[in-house]
Amino acid sequence: MASIVRPAAMLRQSCLTAAAKRTFSSKPASTFPAINKPASSILSRQAVRSRFAKDALPGSMRVAAFHASGRQAILPPLPQTIEGTVNDATPVAPANPASGSYHWTFERVLAAGLIPLTIAPFAAGTLNPATDAILCGAILIHSHIGFDALIVDYVPPKRLPKTRKLFDWGLKLATVVVGVGLYEFETNDVGVTEGIKRIWTA
Amino acid sequence: MAALRTTSRLFTATRPIFRSQLRTMASVSNAPAAAPADETAKMKSFSIYRWNPDEPSKKPHMQSYSLDLNKTGPMMLDALIRIKNEVDPTLTFRRSCREGICGSCAMNIDGVNTLACLCRIPTDTAKESKIYPLPHTYVVKDIVPDLTHFYKQYKSIKPYLQRKDPSPDGKEYRQSKEERKKLDGLYECILCACCSTSCPSYWWNSEEYLGPAILLQSYRWLADSRDQMHEERKEALDNSMALYRCHTILNCSRTCPKGLNPGLAIAEIKKELSF
Repeated sequence: MASIVRPAAMLRQSCLTAAAKRTFSSKPASTFPAINKPASSILSRQAVRSRFAKDALPGSMRVAAFHASGRQAILPPLPQTIEGTVNDATPVAPANPASGSYHWTFERVLAAGLIPLTIAPFAAGTLNPATDAILCGAILIHSHIGFDALIVDYVPPKRLPKTRKLFDWGLKLATVVVGVGLYEFETNDVGVTEGIKRIWTA
Repeated sequence: MAALRTTSRLFTATRPIFRSQLRTMASVSNAPAAAPADETAKMKSFSIYRWNPDEPSKKPHMQSYSLDLNKTGPMMLDALIRIKNEVDPTLTFRRSCREGICGSCAMNIDGVNTLACLCRIPTDTAKESKIYPLPHTYVVKDIVPDLTHFYKQYKSIKPYLQRKDPSPDGKEYRQSKEERKKLDGLYECILCACCSTSCPSYWWNSEEYLGPAILLQSYRWLADSRDQMHEERKEALDNSMALYRCHTILNCSRTCPKGLNPGLAIAEIKKELSF
C-alpha cells in the first residue's frame, strides 16, 4: 500500500543506497578476516553502486534498512507514494468482462465439466477419440487459466514489466507445446485415456 | 466541643480511604512499577513492536513489558493503555471507543488481526503475548499503520446512495423489511482493515485488488434496494484485478472481529456478475 507520510528522501531505495555507502566507507574489510574474500567482493559491488547513489542525504537518513525484512527483496519495492492527494479515490479500471466475469464463469464451468469428462471414458468402458480430444482440450485450457492466474498474482506488471511479458509469452509457448504434444500422442500413439489405463494397470 | 472533636477525628480517619477512591487524570504512577514479592501477582509479559520515525537509523524491534493481570482490565486495550499510562508513555497506538465500534485499535495480536478492545488477554501467564501492527501496511509509528490507500480504495467504490430519480413522495426512500434484512451482516462493518490486511491476495496486489473490506462495502451498496446504480457499480468491479484476485482463501471471514463474513459477500458479488 502506498504511503503519504514519508518524504522522498526517506524512501527505502534512497536509504538502501545510503546504507551501502556507509558500509563501504566506515567498515574495514579486515573486521571479518575469515570471510575476507566474499566481504571484499561485496564491498567492491557496493562501491560501484554508491557511485550512482545520491550524495545529498543527511546523516539521519543513512539507515541500515527501515524494514525488518532482509535487503534481498523478491520484488522491487513500490514507489511508496500515492497518486493524487489523500482525498482522491484510487483509479477504477475500465470494465473488461473478458478477463473479469466471463473469464470467471468460463473457468468455473470448465473446472466443473472436467469431472464428468474424466470419469466418462472409464465409466463407459469405451475409448472414443472424440471424448479423448475434448478431455485433452479441456485440461489444456484449464491448466493455461490456472498458470495464468499464478502469473497475474505473483508477477505484477507495474513492478516487473519485462518479467511479466516473459512469463506471459512463456506460458503461451508452453501451452502450444503441450497442445502439439497431446495432438501427437492422440494421433500417432494410444491416446490419453488408454495411456492412463495402461499406466494404472502396469 | 467534645462532639466536634469526635467528628473531626472521624473525618480524618475516613479521608485516606476517600482519597484513594478519587479518580485522577491519567498520569505516571508514583508507586513502584513492579511490586516485588507479591505472591498473588499474575505477571504477564507483552512483547510489542516498536519503531520510531524520529530515529530512522534504528531498526524496528520488539519491546517487552510485564503487567500484573490482577491490576489490569480484561482486554488487550486495557493492557496497552496501562503500559502507556504507567510504564512507557512513548508507546503509540490508535484507540478511541474501547467497545469495538470505531475500529481504531486494529492490530495483530498473537498472530491474529483483531481489535485490541475486543480481544481478551490470554490468562496463560507463561506465554508472552505478541503485538504487531497490521501486516503488510506501512507503519507510521509503533503499532499505528498507514491506511491512506485503504481509505482511497473505499472512496473509489462510491460508498453512498446513488439515485437516478427522486423518491415518489418527495420524502425518504422506502424499503420493505425483507429488503432491509439483506443489509444485515453488511452494514455492521466498521472498516478496521483487519480482514483486508489478513488477505494474502491483498498483500501481493493491494494496488489494484480492492480487498475483502472494500468488497463487502461494495456488496452492501449492490444489495441495497434503494440504490439505482447497480450496473455502474458492477461494471467498476468487472476486470481481472478489482474483484477477481479473491481466491476464496477466507482469512477475512476467519479474522473479522465483528463476526462478519466478507468472503460470502465477495461470493455474492461474483454470482451477481456472472449470472
